[in-house]
Amino acid sequence: MEKKELQVSPFLVFFIIHAVQVGVGVLGFQRVIMKSAGNDAWMVVIAAGMLVSFIIWLMYVLLNRHQKDIVQIHKELFGKWVGGVISLIWIIYWLLIGIVTLRNYLEIVEVWMFPTINMYMFTLIFTILVYYCVTGGFRVVTGLSFLGVCIPFYLFFTFFFPVEFAHFRNLLPIWNHSIKDLTISIKDMILGFLGFSTLLMYYPYIKHPKKSQKWAQLGNLLTVVIYLFILIITIGFFSEGQVSKQIWATLSLWKIVEMPFVERFEYIGITSWVLIILPNICFSVWAATKGIQKIFNLKPKKVLLVLLSILFCTSVAIQSRGEIALLSKIMSLIGLCLVFVYIPLLTLISFFISKMRRGKLEKSS
Amino acid sequence: MRIWRNKRKTDRSDEDHSFQVLLQRLTESDEFTQFTYASRSSTLCIGYYTSLVDTEILHRDILPYLKELEIMNALPNVLPIEEVSLEKDATKIQEQLLRGFILIFDINNLNQMGLAKASVERTRQVTIPEVEFSVVGPKEAFVEALDTNINLVRKRLPLADLVIKEMQIGNLSKTRVSVLYIDGIANQENVNTVVQRLSELQVDQINDSSYLTQLIQDNQNSPFPQLIDTERPDRIASVLGDGKIAILVDGAPHGLIGPTTFFEFFSAFEDYFLNWTVASFFRLVRFFAVFFSILITPIYVAVLTYHYELIPKDMLSTLVTSRSAIPLPPIMEAVVLELTIELLREAGARLPTKVGQTIGIVGGIVIGTASVEAGLTSNVLLIIVALGALASFTTPVYQMGNTIRLIRFPFLLMAHYIGLLGVAVSFCFLLIHLLRLSSLGRPFLEPFYPLRVQDLKDSLIRLPFSMQTKRPIQEQTEDTMRFNPMKAKEKDDI
Repeated sequence: MEKKELQVSPFLVFFIIHAVQVGVGVLGFQRVIMKSAGNDAWMVVIAAGMLVSFIIWLMYVLLNRHQKDIVQIHKELFGKWVGGVISLIWIIYWLLIGIVTLRNYLEIVEVWMFPTINMYMFTLIFTILVYYCVTGGFRVVTGLSFLGVCIPFYLFFTFFFPVEFAHFRNLLPIWNHSIKDLTISIKDMILGFLGFSTLLMYYPYIKHPKKSQKWAQLGNLLTVVIYLFILIITIGFFSEGQVSKQIWATLSLWKIVEMPFVERFEYIGITSWVLIILPNICFSVWAATKGIQKIFNLKPKKVLLVLLSILFCTSVAIQSRGEIALLSKIMSLIGLCLVFVYIPLLTLISFFISKMRRGKLEKSS
Repeated sequence: MRIWRNKRKTDRSDEDHSFQVLLQRLTESDEFTQFTYASRSSTLCIGYYTSLVDTEILHRDILPYLKELEIMNALPNVLPIEEVSLEKDATKIQEQLLRGFILIFDINNLNQMGLAKASVERTRQVTIPEVEFSVVGPKEAFVEALDTNINLVRKRLPLADLVIKEMQIGNLSKTRVSVLYIDGIANQENVNTVVQRLSELQVDQINDSSYLTQLIQDNQNSPFPQLIDTERPDRIASVLGDGKIAILVDGAPHGLIGPTTFFEFFSAFEDYFLNWTVASFFRLVRFFAVFFSILITPIYVAVLTYHYELIPKDMLSTLVTSRSAIPLPPIMEAVVLELTIELLREAGARLPTKVGQTIGIVGGIVIGTASVEAGLTSNVLLIIVALGALASFTTPVYQMGNTIRLIRFPFLLMAHYIGLLGVAVSFCFLLIHLLRLSSLGRPFLEPFYPLRVQDLKDSLIRLPFSMQTKRPIQEQTEDTMRFNPMKAKEKDDI
């Protein structure tokens, strides 16, 4: 457990979980999941949310038993070397989340707002922003995710504008897709929920961490509700054929918003989205920094600088749409394996090893 | 052992000697008056700094009584003055002399030096507050004299628990600084923080309380002040009751308050004199004004440089007509106008009031109209900039108002560079900066982050007094209840 001054109150876990889950995915998840699940996609969102909720529960089982972050758990269970390597995989994964989020966002900016934007400078500005936030420590990163949930929340009210033109009969008939289609779709949907695994790293920073599970689950619930809300409006507003042609269907929804002083609302949406993705990136970078710092006992500022230069170089080096998609795919694959295969496995291993060790202790005594 | 003995020897011989040195040094200054005065038994020598001493006291309360003086030891009993003492230590004597004491000694006996207080206090009268003026409510403001200021606070808080810790800061100025808090309410940790920071200060002069703000606040490089300065004794008394700590400085007509939050800087003390509905409305207007003032010009620049698609076509025509003849890009237009407003403000602040008003009229009306007619700025931008400036002046704490005006410029530049994204990125910078700040170790963005619902009752809005039963959590007070809420709700009439 960390020092008390560094800890945050358990209800903030609600905002952290929600902030790291919601990223660029919200802007364009519809096409991906409706490709195979069609108008039944809303079931997919709920199912994916439930799966994630189960994994959060598992993570709490694991963490509550050890009362440590994952790097230390690895060290305890697998020893210094094997444990360190596995922790490194997690760290790479977290850093990848940061890179993918940033790069995807930059792509949206480039396509929708600024075809001529100087990518180097903008990435650099963003990197400095992340540096300034992460050096502030866990409290500042948490604070940013809190404000990053609260301040841009007004955006979700703007989705009521398209409701006027929506045909919710598109939702019918229910259950016209096979289980297999839905399963594929769930796998795609999970991408939108990834990032919550940083909980494994910040668990020791929560006051009364055992009580925080309720908030973590609620945070996940809010994410599900938001995805569901946007998805249902999308299904009502677009036909399936239209959605398949919209890479960023949410942004297209915003085009309908009309106010006396503003048109093309998606500009404001994309701009406000900075505040939504920034905590996302900050959290993944923070988790990666903390992890490396714990494995190698290095100074956090130096680690952060190295990680941010990796983040900067990678996001600048990736140029085409294809490369971004590939990177996202790799990231989601690693994420799926780690979160849905490795975490249950680790929980089991930890269960048996601690049982074995206890047995040994009893025998020797 | 030997060294120690030697030292003692030199000390003893120094005593006599050092007094001679002191006298010599004192007489070097022409302002130091020294004359001999024959009493009944001996010849006395009297010395003082003319400018620091009230000669009326000297002639009325000291000289006549000295005639009767038999021996030096009887001096405190003879003189009808409160502070009379006998000193031997040369440095102490010098200190007292510089505080307006009169030195009296027997020429034949240099062992006993008498000191009598006859200092003259030249201070301003207590006047009405100018920076934090309020239409209703008390009209007292602090003055430069520390004792008067403490008196103003103490009159409002007749409490034995009101503790005042005094210390001296500054190698040259030796300024008296008082830390005020209510024992049993204020958190001792906060008190210790303040006292420790003050006592560890290394500085030569403290000319105003704002020196202290800059020297002891948590982040000294931040443009945001982290201690509120106020000239209202009623405000200080009120926040002392909240468990805050106040610092008063001799020679400064402004006291400091800490720990504080970002939102407190936008609460005028007049808010408490008005009904809570009205006060809450005014507060919300002020917060709106802050965001308006920071964001409006950058948004104008961003939209007109990059995102004209954002504007509906009816409105676009208005904008286009007003900008059609203007040769400058939006950023130049905006920066020039913003700088003009800053110039006007600065000129107005440096000039005497009467001339300042004239400058305001000349600047505001003549330059504004002329630049629009000359086709250098659009009248839409003129309105926006003027409104933004006006909004920035609504901030009740002067220092914060300055900050608000300053941080508009980075926003403007970023808006020019990457449009609305620049505004958003700058806004994120601002948020992170505010998140990182703390006031005497307490979070600056409280009650929003960390979220403390109980403290929201006096932040963006102000709820009625009957609901303000608990002291803010921010100060971590030792006694959390202000009064008994049950009794407050009972009403005995009929």
